[in-house]
Amino acid sequence: MDIIVCIKRVPETAEADLVIDASKKAIDTDGLVFSINEWDNYAVEAAIQLKESVGGTITVISVGPEENNEVLRRALAMGADEALRLTDPAFEGSDAYAMAKILAAAVKDIPHDLILTGVQADDDGFGAVGVALAQMLGLPYAALVTDIQLDGETLTVHRELEGGLEEVDTLKLPALLTIQTGINEPRYVSIMGIRRVARKEIGVKGAGDLGLSEEAVGAKGSLSRIEELFFPPVGEGAEIIEGTMDEKTEALVKILKERGGIA
Amino acid sequence: MEKIAVWVEHRQNEIRDITFEMLGKAHQLVGDGGQVIALFLGDPSQKGLLDKITPHAHRTVAYLDSNLKDFEPLRYQAAFADIFEKVDCQLILMGQTAFGMDFAPAVAARWEIPFTTDIVDVEVDGGLIAVRQMYSGKVSAKVSLKEADKMLCTVRAGAFPAEDLPTVSGEVQEITGAVEGDFSARAFVEYLEAAVGDVDITQADVIVSVGRGIKDADNIPVAQELADALGGVVACSRPVADKKWLPKERQVGTSGKTVKPKVYIALGISGAFQHQAGMKNAGTIIAVNKDPKAPIFGIAHYGIVDDLFKVVPALTEKVKELRGWGNSDK
Amino acid sequence: MEELQQPLPERLDLFTCIQCGKCTGGCPVSIKSPLNIRRVIRETVVREDLHGFFSRLEIWDCTTCSTCAIRCPRGLKPVDAIIGLREMMVEEGRIEKTIIDALDGAYKYGNPWGRAKNKRAEWAQDLDIQNALEMDPGQILYFVCCAASYDPRVQVVAKTLVTVLKAAGVSFGILGNKEVCCGSEIRRMGEVGLFEMLMEENMKNFGKIEPATIVTTSPHCMNALKNEYEGLGSEVLHYSQFVRRLMDEGKLAFETEVPMKVTYHDPCYLGKQNGVFDEPREILTSIPGIEFIEFGRCRENSLCCEGGGGRMWMEGTNQGKRLSEVRVEDALEMGVEAIITACPFCLLTLEDAVKTTGNEEKIKIIDLMELAVMGLGKTLETEG
Ligand SMILES: Cc1cc2nc3c(=O)[nH]c(=O)nc-3n(C[C@@H](O)[C@H](O)[C@H](O)COP(=O)(O)OP(=O)(O)OC[C@H]3O[C@@H](n4cnc5c(N)ncnc54)[C@H](O)[C@@H]3O)c2cc1C
Ligand SMILES: Cc1cc2nc3c(=O)[nH]c(=O)nc-3n(C[C@H](O)[C@H](O)[C@H](O)COP(=O)(O)OP(=O)(O)OC[C@H]3O[C@@H](n4cnc5c(N)ncnc54)[C@H](O)[C@@H]3O)c2cc1C
Ligand code: SF4
Ligand code: SF4
Repeated sequence: MDIIVCIKRVPETAEADLVIDASKKAIDTDGLVFSINEWDNYAVEAAIQLKESVGGTITVISVGPEENNEVLRRALAMGADEALRLTDPAFEGSDAYAMAKILAAAVKDIPHDLILTGVQADDDGFGAVGVALAQMLGLPYAALVTDIQLDGETLTVHRELEGGLEEVDTLKLPALLTIQTGINEPRYVSIMGIRRVARKEIGVKGAGDLGLSEEAVGAKGSLSRIEELFFPPVGEGAEIIEGTMDEKTEALVKILKERGGIA
Repeated sequence: MEKIAVWVEHRQNEIRDITFEMLGKAHQLVGDGGQVIALFLGDPSQKGLLDKITPHAHRTVAYLDSNLKDFEPLRYQAAFADIFEKVDCQLILMGQTAFGMDFAPAVAARWEIPFTTDIVDVEVDGGLIAVRQMYSGKVSAKVSLKEADKMLCTVRAGAFPAEDLPTVSGEVQEITGAVEGDFSARAFVEYLEAAVGDVDITQADVIVSVGRGIKDADNIPVAQELADALGGVVACSRPVADKKWLPKERQVGTSGKTVKPKVYIALGISGAFQHQAGMKNAGTIIAVNKDPKAPIFGIAHYGIVDDLFKVVPALTEKVKELRGWGNSDK
Repeated sequence: MEELQQPLPERLDLFTCIQCGKCTGGCPVSIKSPLNIRRVIRETVVREDLHGFFSRLEIWDCTTCSTCAIRCPRGLKPVDAIIGLREMMVEEGRIEKTIIDALDGAYKYGNPWGRAKNKRAEWAQDLDIQNALEMDPGQILYFVCCAASYDPRVQVVAKTLVTVLKAAGVSFGILGNKEVCCGSEIRRMGEVGLFEMLMEENMKNFGKIEPATIVTTSPHCMNALKNEYEGLGSEVLHYSQFVRRLMDEGKLAFETEVPMKVTYHDPCYLGKQNGVFDEPREILTSIPGIEFIEFGRCRENSLCCEGGGGRMWMEGTNQGKRLSEVRVEDALEMGVEAIITACPFCLLTLEDAVKTTGNEEKIKIIDLMELAVMGLGKTLETEG
């Protein structure tokens, strides 16, 4: 079984004090630590487990600058066979739709029975690239996958629904799945493991190599645009809710509703 | 914006809350004179569900086909293709839910509908500006969509209130469909309830976590009831797991699990460094603690300084009230 | 890297083991864990394939206290077999999530708790401490430790040490946000590559300032820097050794009465592994008012607190009573008001045990430097 996994390199921002840059459209990533998108780490592990059980190859693809080699190398150390990086100045400003077009152009040239993406990216979190990509490729797909069983040409998958409910679906290969965290326990990648693949070549392709016109990708080929970033109002430390018990719980219910606390 | 279509999300013969939240926002956006259109795909036997929808939509387009009972994206898309032209609207709203995340990007890609996802607000002022969160909620973004006849947004659950929906006298347009084609490439099989007792706190969106402040194993149900009402799970600090009041798998922290729920409610937890390490990345942290100096308040977003045994039952009551016991999705 | 290629028994000379069992006899966790170090040695020698170990969680129960190495009549280091097995598990990537998180944190942020790099020196913000990177060669460097940098409880220890050093008129600096984890625990969790990486990073900075002496908060850092950092020219001292020296040099004297009955818990990495038994005792007994009594199990026979060898991130399989709880109960029986210790991990595990045994009102866990500050008549910061 030949599997393609799309992986994104994202900044880790949970611990950091973020700064919005001068363009107001992006954050200042200076000093931030980058790593593989958490969901994609699970996707790579899922691919390796499938390969371990039925054989085949794994190709990892990432769209982005040379720094993305880091996450591609890590995936190679984890057990992927080939790595491909897609980069072109024309790709800048791509939204999820344009990103899917870029990936679609690349996977067309690579034999595949299965494509895996993450459910969403840690940073932008559009949660859209995988499903849009499947649509462009005309592949059956399933989003939010938490379990994969392979039986010949048929996949049986579980999808995570709300409130602890799951859905079971079958899919015919070739197919695309967007992988949810928790589907497996991604293995650790040791520093020595990464060093061992340090010299492995990583393929690079640009818009031209993929047969993509400049109009098709980047800001021009996108359907949406980020206009402005801003900080939602938050205070230092906890906002202490005061009042009578009734007022306190009333305020809590409101917060719970707003913050997705009532699942 | 005059015409907005809202995708009616239903599962297991229940309309999901998100639908009403979107209807509310749609009414607000179209204002007087505008039109809110409800889009319903389902099995003819599910027609009764429409009774809850039609009073709140100017028009309801119901596509009924015996194969549309459960969500299958390929079949749903084919059905939607049948009516796509007939639905005259500028904006389609879907939920950023297990349904919407599986369906919306495909629909958008297929018809090249400008779209964005997981929005928490939307303004229409000339063009459309959606507000969505990035970097786990640390930054908000205004996103504009390319001009087009139709646009699409998926809406975060809970972003808009579902109460006080305007009642309008709406018409229903029933379409008895017969979706043609071979959709076996992806087929729905069944629903699976998560096994009881088999709680994975790392996957939960809502966590009610208890510390030593819970005092005794007999008090765990106080937290459990709140968790049930919220649709969440109960987790704990290490001493609680140590004492076997809850299984070890529920322990949050450096030597337990790392969790990242949307909401983490810490009840009677002091917030030791080792505990914080396991939950500091939760979307919203709410702490209830008697001690105003407890370190947990240093990382919580909201706090209540009070006895948890007073706060929690009162809160549980309020949440149950809100849910109206039973008409919700569990 | 070469070393790893060699099979474990050859690398560690395990063939010479006579299966006497002295190692297991002294192993503090053997009474409560399936871990039997003698048997592990035997199995590593006779088994062709060591993969069978990979699913055995008790390999992570070892606290790397090194009691086994002290007791082995053949001069073997049984603990290194455990670390060797962990190395193999790490290479396969099959390790527990909490361990992965700790390793990832150290890799990305330079500390196993994954806290932000630029917050490492936040504890020192208002203390007016020199940036070591601007010091001339031959000075004193204070190597703070991840726990002391980030854990509010241990930050207090770092602050008190700073108070003590300043009281003695010592000129010193810290690396601030440039310091990274010493790698001691990382190595013991089996991630040699990462240990080397962290070591190189620290060595790069040490090289810039060539300190005459490096003083550490943690015995674990001290042990790593002193015994495992190859080519480090500086003298490495745990703070207890350094402060003891300051007393000798007449720079420091404790004159404030601290009426308290205390005992002292020997950190394994300070005592058993580096033979530093006397200095901490000499410091605390020089404080007027202190009534000192020894634990029954002290010095070489001291009971491990279970905080080392990665155990801060891995509970281990043992269901029995925590050894730290045993320690606290022993101390209560002795009627002391406080256990004094000199290691961040001991401090945390013992203090936690005070809580879990519900003895907050009866006994305190105090770091040696906190006691020293009292002896200097300064105020002790308790709020972290
Ligand atoms: C300079 C710059 C400008 C930008 N401008 C815009 C803009 O104007 N409008 C806008 O909407 N966005 C913009 N973005 C962000 C944009 O490129 C997003 O990455 C894109 O919208 C995809 O969304 P997502 O990353 O949230 O993917 P999701 O849909 O959340 O990701 C799902 C999955 O898709 C795959 N995937 C996503 N990205 C990649 C990748 N790079 N390589 C390989 N696989 C990937 C992964 O498997 C991932 O798990 C900009 C980014 C940059 C750096
Ligand atoms: C190596 C090691 C690993 C550890 N790993 C973990 C870990 O993974 N996870 C973890 O959680 N801990 C861990 N710990 C323990 C940690 O250090 C703390 O001891 C622990 O988190 C404290 O738990 P707690 O907050 O429940 O209890 P306490 O610190 O005792 O706090 C109880 C809180 O409840 C409040 N309270 C009491 N009664 C009420 C009431 N009626 N209403 C409201 N509030 C009330 C009190 O004010 C207090 O703040 C670890 C410790 C060590 C040494
Ligand atoms: S190092 Fe300590 S815990 Fe580990 S095997 Fe040896 S004696 Fe036991
Ligand atoms: S003490 Fe040494 S010789 Fe005796 S069993 Fe243990 S390792 Fe072997």
